[in-house]
Amino acid sequence: MKLKFLITSLTSCTGCISALMSLDVFPQFLERTKIEYFPFISDNLEIKECDIALVEGCVSEKNQIEYLQEIRKNAKKLYALGTCSAFGGILSLSNNKDSHPISKFVDVDGIIPGCPPPSILLGNCLLRLVENKEIKLSLKNMCSTCPLNNLAKLDLPLTIDKIVPRNDEIRFPGENVSCFLNNGILCLGPITRDGCDHLCIHQGLPCEGCLGPVSKGFTSNLINFLSLFNLSKNLRNYRGIYYRFSKLFAGGKD
Amino acid sequence: MDKVVEACTRVEGCGNLIIYLKNDEIYQTELNFSVFRGFENILVGKKLLDIPKIVSRICGLCHASQTIASCKAIENLYGIEPSQQSILLRRLLLSGELIKSHIMHYFFQSFPDLLRIFEINPLIKDPYNLINYNPHLTTNVFNLIKIGSEINKLIGGRALHPITPIPGGLIFNPTGKSLISIEKYLKKGIYYIETIIENFIDLFSAFDPPTEFNLSNSIYFGLKNNMGFDRYEGDLRIEQNDTTYDDFQVKNYSKYFDKDPNLYGIVFKSNSKKKILTGPIARYKLAQNYGIDKISEYLSNFGKKWKSNLLFLNFLQLIEIYYEIQKSVEILDTTLLKSKTKLKQLNSIKKSNGIGVIEAPRGILMHHYHLNKAKIVDQVKLFIATEINLPILNKMITEYAKKLYEKEDIDSVKEKVQIMIRAFDPCISCASH
Repeated sequence: MKLKFLITSLTSCTGCISALMSLDVFPQFLERTKIEYFPFISDNLEIKECDIALVEGCVSEKNQIEYLQEIRKNAKKLYALGTCSAFGGILSLSNNKDSHPISKFVDVDGIIPGCPPPSILLGNCLLRLVENKEIKLSLKNMCSTCPLNNLAKLDLPLTIDKIVPRNDEIRFPGENVSCFLNNGILCLGPITRDGCDHLCIHQGLPCEGCLGPVSKGFTSNLINFLSLFNLSKNLRNYRGIYYRFSKLFAGGKD
Repeated sequence: MDKVVEACTRVEGCGNLIIYLKNDEIYQTELNFSVFRGFENILVGKKLLDIPKIVSRICGLCHASQTIASCKAIENLYGIEPSQQSILLRRLLLSGELIKSHIMHYFFQSFPDLLRIFEINPLIKDPYNLINYNPHLTTNVFNLIKIGSEINKLIGGRALHPITPIPGGLIFNPTGKSLISIEKYLKKGIYYIETIIENFIDLFSAFDPPTEFNLSNSIYFGLKNNMGFDRYEGDLRIEQNDTTYDDFQVKNYSKYFDKDPNLYGIVFKSNSKKKILTGPIARYKLAQNYGIDKISEYLSNFGKKWKSNLLFLNFLQLIEIYYEIQKSVEILDTTLLKSKTKLKQLNSIKKSNGIGVIEAPRGILMHHYHLNKAKIVDQVKLFIATEINLPILNKMITEYAKKLYEKEDIDSVKEKVQIMIRAFDPCISCASH
C-alpha cells in the first residue's frame, strides 16, 4: 500500500523542497508514494486526506493558520520540514514580520531540522516515512562527534569577539586546529543537534546553529550558553546571533 | 468590479494569479506574491561578514547567486577583487546552481505545458504521469539534478545555501577525489543534456509557437561582456535592438533604473513603451552566440518565430545547461584549481556604497549596500530578475487573458494564463524577498 503524501510551503525560500528534490532517493520516493498535494510540481489544489504531511516554511501571515489547520485535520502525521517550520527560521531576524514555527498553531509529529536539512539526514528521514516508521534524530550535540573535539579543552571564562575567523585564519580540520571557542570565535556546536556531519566545520567555519537545539527553547538555550563567555561589546547586542533561526524561548511557544 | 484570485501551481514559491473584471470584461491580470519577507530591512545593521549567509536564505534555488552577488557587493566596499582561482570556483558553483534550477523548471513546470500546447499529450496532470511519460527522459533529468546538486556540495559545501563563498574569495580544500568526481559527473552530463535537447527538437521544432506568446515589445537587459556569454563579469546593457542600446557601468545604474522608494519593484527610467526582459532570452539576444559550434547547430533548428517567442526560453534553458557543463569541464582542466584556497584579506572599508551584480539563472541579480559614517549597513537595495520581468509578464498575461475570455470561460482563462506565467519561470521566493 502506497502512503499518501502532502508537501507544501508556508513562508519560505523553497529550499527544503529544493533539497528534497535533489536527493538521490527522490525518484524512488515518487515511485513508492502517492502524492496527493504538492503545488511545486502538481496542479491539484484540493487538500485531501493523507498519511503524511511535510510542511516547510514559517507562519508569517494570518491566513496561513487556517491553511495549516486544514492540513493538520487531513493528515495522519504532520512533520515540520526544515528550521523555519520547526523553529521560525531566518525571518526571526526581522523587526516587523512574524515568523512562528508551525507547532505554535498545530500539533506536530516530528521535525526534520536544518537550513536546509542535511542531505543524509533528510534522505534517511524520507525513507523511514515512506515505510511509515518514526523518524530518528540524534540526541547528542554537534561537539560529541566534532573533528575538532579532541583539541577542545575550554578554559572558561573565554572571551568571544568574532562570529567567523579572519580570512587568513581559516584552517581545515586535520591542520591541527583547535576548537573555535578557544580562539575567540563563536561556535554554536555545543548547543546544536548533531546530524549534518559538520559541514561548516569542514570548511573551516564555526557552526551557526541551523539544526537547532536538542532540547526545547532555541533562544533561551542560546542565551544560557552565551552567558558562559565574555562577549565582546560588538557582539553583545548583535541580533544576528540571538535571533538567527528562532525567537523561541520555550518549546513550541514564543 | 470583480476580482478572481487563483493560487498558482508549478511555480517556484507561492504566488497568486489575480484577474480583475468589470462588466464581465477582463481589464487587468497580474501575478501577485502573497508574502513579502523584508530582507532589505533585515540586512540593516547586520555585520558585513554575516550578510552573504543571510541573503542565501532568500531563495532555495538561487542561493549561490544571492550569496555571490552579496560577496561581490562587500568586496566592492573593501575595494578588493578575489583571486582568479576563487572566481573560477564561483563560476563552477553558479553553474551547478543553474543546471539544477533550469532542469527542474523545464521538466516539472514547463514540459507538461509544452506537451499540452502542441497537443502532443494533454493528459499529463500529475508527477506520476510525468515521470512515466518518457522514462529515459526522466532518468536523464534526475541525473542532471544530481549533477547540479553534487557540484553545489563539492564546491559550495552543501546542496544549497552554500557555506564556502565569503567576501574575499571562496573557501576551497580540494581532494584529488572530489575534483575527479565532479569531472566524471560533468562529462556524463553532456550526454544527458544532449538527449534532452534532441528530444525537445524532435517534439516541438516542427511546430510554430503560439503567437500570443510573442515577445514583440521587449527590451533586453543583462550583463554584457565583450569576451562573450558571461554570467559573472561585465557591464550592464539595455538593448532595444542591435543598433540601439545603452552600455553602462554597474556603479552608474541609478541613471537607468532604480528600486521603487517603497522597495516594491523596480522602475526603469525609459520613455519607451516597451517593457524590460532579463534572463535566458535577454542573455541570448545580448551575446548573439555562445561560442560553441554544437550550440549553433542546435539553435539552427529554430526559425524567427521561435526565437521571438517566450516559449523559446525553455529551449534556451537547456542550451544554457549545455553551455555551463562545457565551460565547467574547461574550468576543471585549469591547474589553478588543484591548489588550496587563497583568500584576499579584508583590511579597511574604502567606500560607502558597495554594488555586486551577476546573472542568476533567471537574469540580472544586483545587491547594493550603503554604509553610514560608522560603517554600518543602513540601506539595502536588492534587484531581482523576477521583479524586473514582472511588468512585461503582467502586460502579456493581461492581453492573453482578454483574448481568451472572448471565447472561453473564466476557469479556462485561469488555467491557460498560468501556462504563460510558468513559461516566464518566475522565482517568487526571490521576488518576495
